[in-house]
Amino acid sequence: MSDAKFFQRGKIQELRLELNSDKKDRNYTRKKQTLKKIVANMTMGNDMSSLHPDVIACMSIPVLEVKKMVYLFLINYAKAKPEMAYEAIQTFRRDVEDPNPLIRALAIRTMGYIHVDKVTACLIQPLRHCMRDQDPYVRKTAAVCVAKLFMQDRHLVENAGFIDLLREMLVDSNPSVVANAVAALTEISERSDHIQLQLNMSIASKLVTALNECSEWGQTYILESLMFVVPQEPGDAEMLAERIAPRLQHANSAVVLTAVKVIVYLMNYMSREEDIHSMCKKLSPPLVTLLSNGPEVQYVGLRNILLVIQKHPEILKNDIKIFFCKYNDPIYVKMAKLEIMFRLASEHNVEQVLSELKEYATEVDVDFVRKAVRSIGRLAVKIESTAQRCVEALLELIQTKVNYVVQESIVVIKDIFRKYPNQYESIIGVLCENLDNLDEPEAKAAMIWIIGQYADRIENSDELLDDFLYTFLEETVEVQLALLTATVKLFIKRPTAGQDLVPKVLKWATEEVDNPDLRDRGYIYWRLLSTDVAAAKAVVLSEKPHISTETDNMDPVLLEELLLHISSLSAIYHKAPTTFIPHCKPRFLIPSPALRRQNYNAGRSLQHQDSYSSLQNSAQFQQSQSNNMRSPRSDGDDGGNGGLDEFVSSPKQPQHQRLSYHEQSFEQVAEASIGNQEYYEQKINAENPYRTDTGAVGGSQPSKGGGVDLMSFDL
Amino acid sequence: MIESLFVLSPTGKVIIEKHWHELIPRRVVDFFNDQVSKAMAEGEDVTREDVLPIIASPKYQLINVYRDGLTYLSPVTKEVDPMMVFEFLHRIPDIMQEYFGQVSETVIKENFVTVYQLLEEMMDDGFPLTTEPNSLKEIVPAPNILNKVITTMGATTSVSTRKMPNGMSNLPWRKAGVKYNSNEIFFDIVEEIDAIVDSTGKAVSCEAHGTIQTNSRLSGMPDLTLSFVNPRLVDDCSFHQSVRFNKWESDKVLSFVPPDGHFRLMSYRVNLPSQQNLPIQVKPSINIGANGAKFDITVSLRNTDGKAVENVVLTLPLHKSTSTLTAQCNVGQYMFDPVGKVLRWDVGKIVPRERAPVLSGSFGFGSASSEAAANAGYNIGVEFLINSHSLSGLKVDVLKLFNESYKPYKGVRTMTKAGRYQVRA
Repeated sequence: MSDAKFFQRGKIQELRLELNSDKKDRNYTRKKQTLKKIVANMTMGNDMSSLHPDVIACMSIPVLEVKKMVYLFLINYAKAKPEMAYEAIQTFRRDVEDPNPLIRALAIRTMGYIHVDKVTACLIQPLRHCMRDQDPYVRKTAAVCVAKLFMQDRHLVENAGFIDLLREMLVDSNPSVVANAVAALTEISERSDHIQLQLNMSIASKLVTALNECSEWGQTYILESLMFVVPQEPGDAEMLAERIAPRLQHANSAVVLTAVKVIVYLMNYMSREEDIHSMCKKLSPPLVTLLSNGPEVQYVGLRNILLVIQKHPEILKNDIKIFFCKYNDPIYVKMAKLEIMFRLASEHNVEQVLSELKEYATEVDVDFVRKAVRSIGRLAVKIESTAQRCVEALLELIQTKVNYVVQESIVVIKDIFRKYPNQYESIIGVLCENLDNLDEPEAKAAMIWIIGQYADRIENSDELLDDFLYTFLEETVEVQLALLTATVKLFIKRPTAGQDLVPKVLKWATEEVDNPDLRDRGYIYWRLLSTDVAAAKAVVLSEKPHISTETDNMDPVLLEELLLHISSLSAIYHKAPTTFIPHCKPRFLIPSPALRRQNYNAGRSLQHQDSYSSLQNSAQFQQSQSNNMRSPRSDGDDGGNGGLDEFVSSPKQPQHQRLSYHEQSFEQVAEASIGNQEYYEQKINAENPYRTDTGAVGGSQPSKGGGVDLMSFDL
Repeated sequence: MIESLFVLSPTGKVIIEKHWHELIPRRVVDFFNDQVSKAMAEGEDVTREDVLPIIASPKYQLINVYRDGLTYLSPVTKEVDPMMVFEFLHRIPDIMQEYFGQVSETVIKENFVTVYQLLEEMMDDGFPLTTEPNSLKEIVPAPNILNKVITTMGATTSVSTRKMPNGMSNLPWRKAGVKYNSNEIFFDIVEEIDAIVDSTGKAVSCEAHGTIQTNSRLSGMPDLTLSFVNPRLVDDCSFHQSVRFNKWESDKVLSFVPPDGHFRLMSYRVNLPSQQNLPIQVKPSINIGANGAKFDITVSLRNTDGKAVENVVLTLPLHKSTSTLTAQCNVGQYMFDPVGKVLRWDVGKIVPRERAPVLSGSFGFGSASSEAAANAGYNIGVEFLINSHSLSGLKVDVLKLFNESYKPYKGVRTMTKAGRYQVRA
């Protein structure tokens, strides 16, 4: 009795006869079998659409299984043959009023999938009813259906009162209904140009109550929606985080990670250090537990952990062992673990980390080995007390003569030399033994840099450079630049040794090479050397800026943004979502009296300012959006066909609706407030004490009317 | 939000295709297959498991899960919570397992219509809907013998007699009206040890992951309370949604109304101290020369409470340039896979105070051997299990039943086994 037999290409005519047979068919068994065959054929890609009159005739059979198959058939073919859907409309009309809630729900669910205008038109009225249906299963299905409808026709949903109905559902007695309504609202808010979800504390509190009783997926929807709560007082943030914390122990890792996201977000609005500290303490164990799942979940977990620990270094600081790599971990997991190990490395655990890295450097996967070797070098730069041991480890690795290991080691040793000048030069001899095997530009350039930098210590530096110069014209620009500079250094340090080489290199760089960087650098050296050797010396041998692993840190502005996107694709790629996903709404920390000022360390005042102005820019973005609502835009790059069309076609009605809505929610602040940007902006105006500051720090604050200009601000 | 799903056969052919939003053309599957073969061609050690679970393409982000030879591929165009997608994708084979007993290309094809019906119920418009097996089975009947008889006899339940699915009750995980003649409930406490052990036998990292798998066959609406002798041992835990979290927080007991049938009641993690006595010690010594190596590996029991260790299997992946291997062992049997270059030693059962199993021999590198071969590190994967043993020492104290009057049969079993357990040589 397997379904495989249905796969034989049923002849259409045969199936039709079977469906229409007059034979006694108690309980529709035969009809069901035939429909199964049709569905099986359809999913295999055999065209069954010519059977539609016969299949649709089955819709009136009061057996759920039959109905489901007919609906599957309709969804599959309605797009190509809309007339087929027309024939079904009558039955849909009957089904949405069926006494059985399952059938009511199934009917609106199916209609939502059929993107045919006439069907959609018939859906609106029943959908409204279903949203207030007495049965929660129907209400919950209806909520999702609104989101579905929104994808088809945004204006319809925005103007036909569905948003308000969804908002009512947020206080539904059934938690699953609440969860689905929240999911639909979040979805709409993320896609819409002028609807922005914002929840106040009282609704947030109700949602959290529903959280305890709904399904795992419902929990992720509700948690996600809490990202749209802007706590006005630190106490609110603490209370909310405290109540969400039990979700960290859920079996579903999506629930766990979304809870982490919300808590990390709320910590921005907490004031007492001890609260933040105690929350950080709660975050560590569930993050560790994520890593006991399958590799995909581990991977997502690791990428997100890397973000979280950059913001809150105390999280996981004692759990470094969890990130040690197993030899049979998938490569992508190993790579992600390695980055976290490096970040968590400190004076306390550096010994363990180094011995792990040495272990990894003997594995077979080339990329992983390279990264391990590189990490040893970075570790030396990061933690001074361990530099000596790291250098020894690198020397050992060089002795293995494994080509890529040697090259990678030389690249990082260059950094170690830069960080700790005059400490490890004794190893130069060992490095020089490996010159012949270097074939990667980065390694070559590093080695050449070392020779140039220590031209006066390496006895035969002129010969070594001369060897490299032999192939100057074939090298990559990276290597050519290094050669040029190294030769000049040699000449300045040991004029007699370099006097033959310099003219040769300068001539090549300025006459034979097309690369402007190389040519310009060549000319600069040439002029310097020919006019003022002392100045040349001062320039070429000037003190190098200090290097540190700080440069590995993520730009704090980007980090801030990514933390609002924990558990999303952006957090995997570590790229702002707006850079790779079309029509994506940017997120930013919305100012409130409780928002902690972002305090990046003092040495980064410049970036501090940047982040500030970005905050301001985001606020401006909000403003510009709303300004655009007021005056029709002239530029063409409207995200969807959203705002402009609507505005032109019905300039007053939607705005009026929104305004009245705004009054309602803003004055009473009784329920969830889903406002348009205008509402949003006013809220910022009214409640953001930093707003004027922001203008002062960030420079020119455009006047309110200048919104259109601001659209040039490229997010 | 999940937009589409493709289930691909081991050869990359589409078995199942389902679109909740726009139709995503099958071209995307070709692109995906190309990416997979490209990734696997990158190195000789790269396997299908090494392929990234999220692959970017110009238009789609290809989120995929590889399980038992099948690929569950979900291309998305919008920002999405990948954790949710992975959780959902894993549910699909989980549910199929529950329905059909096993998951494979053939099984899916044999139960084609059921699979589509399940997918229809499991997701609506990209939102996961019903994924609890208990609720699903009420909506989509599982293909069991009884069902088949009913269908052939023509005695289908019609719509009017069908009950509301339980999806909306206060206990979405438990169906109503469960009845058993003999009421019983079984708990399987399984602890898996994840460890990295260095060549001296010292644990570099070591933790135990426990799960309590439960099989409940209890009538009505039983309300259970399970308590442990030493609950504070647990470092972190997560629960089935039936478990009342507050009770755990306050009293460290598990209070719950169980779903019917099999489910995972609790998972927990115990960090083991690094001086922890592991139950088994593997002592490898590998002396590598330019052309090959001599090795011997000894296995001995340590901390097993006098219990035997069973199903002991050691795997030693060798360098790709290895061409020959000779070995001998006093216990069990070994096998060298000359293609995958893996040495596998099936030790079997080790009883305390019997002679320690030893495998010794040598292997040689082929002509193409390089510095990398001579400098490569070796890792031994270790599998074993110990019955009636819990490494962490977690013990069930009592199980109390409320809300029902019968006295159920209660059973608890414990087992410790190796999880991701490896020894560095």
